[in-house]
Amino acid sequence: MPASIKLQQEFGDALQVLFVECQGADLEKSEAFAWRQKWMGTRAIWTDERPLEVAGSGLPKFALLDTEGKLLLEGNPLAMKKQIEEAIAEQVKKATSAPAGTPDKLAKTWARFVKGDIAAALAECEKLGTDASLAEPAKTLRAEMMTRAEGKIARGQWLVTNGYVAEASEHFAGLAKAVKGSHELESKISDELTRLQAPDKTLSAEAEASKALASLQQKMVKDKAFEDANVKALQKLAEKHAGTKAAERAARLAKLASIEFR
Amino acid sequence: MVARVPGGQSLRMEVEMKASSRKQAGLAITLLGTLAFTTSAGGGESTRYTFRNAPVNSMGVKSMADLRGKPVLIDFWGTR
Repeated sequence: MPASIKLQQEFGDALQVLFVECQGADLEKSEAFAWRQKWMGTRAIWTDERPLEVAGSGLPKFALLDTEGKLLLEGNPLAMKKQIEEAIAEQVKKATSAPAGTPDKLAKTWARFVKGDIAAALAECEKLGTDASLAEPAKTLRAEMMTRAEGKIARGQWLVTNGYVAEASEHFAGLAKAVKGSHELESKISDELTRLQAPDKTLSAEAEASKALASLQQKMVKDKAFEDANVKALQKLAEKHAGTKAAERAARLAKLASIEFR
Repeated sequence: MVARVPGGQSLRMEVEMKASSRKQAGLAITLLGTLAFTTSAGGGESTRYTFRNAPVNSMGVKSMADLRGKPVLIDFWGTR
């Protein structure tokens, strides 16, 4: 198992591992390969596109980006294991710190936001912003908080649109608690929750299908992913829940089983 | 060309060759990709890449900007 997968498991949601295939395989082949190698089942994500260029040729190779997306470290991961782990730990710690230049008086507000108390952090920001010396940084910090909160809402909307209904419900329920008291955000999340809770055949079908697929994928992670029983179960799921996004994903996964590797 | 070594690592040797057959043409394309990969970027700028296709398992990630706020470990790997 690649060390990156272990790091993803170790750091969980605080780290994002991105695998970039560099030897010409497309996304489907890369995914099929990862399933076969038992590398799936973490939060790691996979692409065949290179988001940045790094120096030197040859594999293995890594690049570590800081919390702002800037290149921090690059090289051969086998030779820099300890450096990578230390740098990630430092960045994870930094991720909870306020953005650079934030005055000390506002740093606690940011900490509150990071812990998930979004409404309280926004209110505190507004209150501190009445102090003329903090007005500008408080405005900047509030804008950053709103951008991130809007990002969380957009993520939930994406989950709904793409048939991850159970995940979306959980996501918005957590957000609803976090923004309670912030009218601006509360109404947006309330709208989403109302939409999810309303009797809707399409959403119910998506919820049932995505739940069934999630369960089957957990089995695939533990077993040989593409053993006959799993492939048949994927095909059956795709037929039974035809018309749902989860059925499309199941059919796609079943197709991956037929990809051969020399 | 890609050479296998014990431990499953791949060594990519950059060579210049004429693509006189389909197989060689494919290899040349792979090498061009590698050469592009070796040019250095970074420079203290934030990575602003937008994906043509959403990464597998990404749950809505469209660009590197969507990953801001947490460190990102990019693992360049190969299926061969």
